[in-house]
Amino acid sequence: MKRIAVGTEKGAYLLTGAGSNWEVEGPLFPGWKVTAFGNAPDGSHLAAVGSNWFGVGIHRSENLVDWSQTDNPPSWPEETGRRMEQIWAFHDDGARLWAGVAQAGLFTSDDGGFSWDPIESLNEHRTRADWHPGAGGLCAHRILSGAGSIWVGVSAVGVFRSDDGGVTWVPKNDGIPAVDTAEGAERPEVGYCVHGLAHDPADPFTMWRQDHRGVFRSTDGGDNWERIENGLPAGFGFVIWRSPASGRLLVVPLHSDENRVPVDGKLRAYASDDGGDSWQVAGDGWPDAAQFTGVLRGAFDGDEAGAFCFGTTGGKLWLTEDDGETWTELDPAFPRIAAIELVG
Amino acid sequence: MSVTVRLPRVLSETVGSAPRHVVTGGTLGEVLETLFTAEPGLRNHLLDEAGVIRPHVLMFVDADRADIDTPVRPDSEVQVLQAVSGG
Repeated sequence: MKRIAVGTEKGAYLLTGAGSNWEVEGPLFPGWKVTAFGNAPDGSHLAAVGSNWFGVGIHRSENLVDWSQTDNPPSWPEETGRRMEQIWAFHDDGARLWAGVAQAGLFTSDDGGFSWDPIESLNEHRTRADWHPGAGGLCAHRILSGAGSIWVGVSAVGVFRSDDGGVTWVPKNDGIPAVDTAEGAERPEVGYCVHGLAHDPADPFTMWRQDHRGVFRSTDGGDNWERIENGLPAGFGFVIWRSPASGRLLVVPLHSDENRVPVDGKLRAYASDDGGDSWQVAGDGWPDAAQFTGVLRGAFDGDEAGAFCFGTTGGKLWLTEDDGETWTELDPAFPRIAAIELVG
Repeated sequence: MSVTVRLPRVLSETVGSAPRHVVTGGTLGEVLETLFTAEPGLRNHLLDEAGVIRPHVLMFVDADRADIDTPVRPDSEVQVLQAVSGG
């Protein structure tokens, strides 16, 4: 029996079941966008919500069913002139909770998400004047930590790494093509549109990156990146996922920046079992019918038993319970899916 | 003074607040501050970082559009509405 929390443009939904039999509860947070799920260091579940009218909120739950709002979500200090547009990601480093937000910034909580402090060393980084938004806005959307370092991905700015607990941050994008640079122009320090980040928790400086400009790997914590697209139908996409069960990598390629749907409508996850050297369609179960839909960066989650689930912008869920060998499209349909949490 | 504040259901249900509050204050701003003392989780949803009523939130005092400085009578009713927008 598993539970899948589905965060959508119109509320969240909770699926409980296995195989092709799932009960659906919801909507939770009716009328609100649910933009991210996460976990606090005490194991509580977190949901980030947002509204075009009422701003953002954070809710906590012990069981994914009963939720209560915290009173003090991340908020920009008034003097910054910025507005809190969306909470994009949570990250639990084992001691502190981190949140990536738009307008782009990083916040931390030492009390499990009840109160938050801005990380000024990143938020007021010396390169901030050159941070410009991508299509999804100017957002900090991916956070990783390990071996004493922290990484944050900011669209369309790049990856930053801190080796001193968040006191200082260095852009780590060598090898990544810039988003908007004229041929022959000097390489900018920022302006690299990271979409997704993954690493091996046991070897955190080995990293993989789904970028606007392709799929890349680093073996030195982001100091250098190399392109790894052998076998992929396209380099564009948002998701990169490393199976905690096997180390298998998964991506869901989309045609291009200009055409953000699967190539020829063939919705497929692609897997790499050699660290990104080569890719092939992940298992079977994929539909013959065209699926002109996408998968967003937060809409992929899995567990250590090899069960993964992703949700599409068309509101459908795809599930594997054997580490990506067999995929099943679940029957329920939802609004545009932005966030997934799978609990075994 | 007992000013009644009515909240839209989409807000009160998700925040976990009652849809109707009886509070005090001589201006809309004072009424909201009293409300936030009892329900701190509402502040962020009604006011932005600058302490201004959010752009797509409408507030009425006794059926007249109001801002933070609008006077409130002891028996006034404050209605919070969400602007009609979206898709």
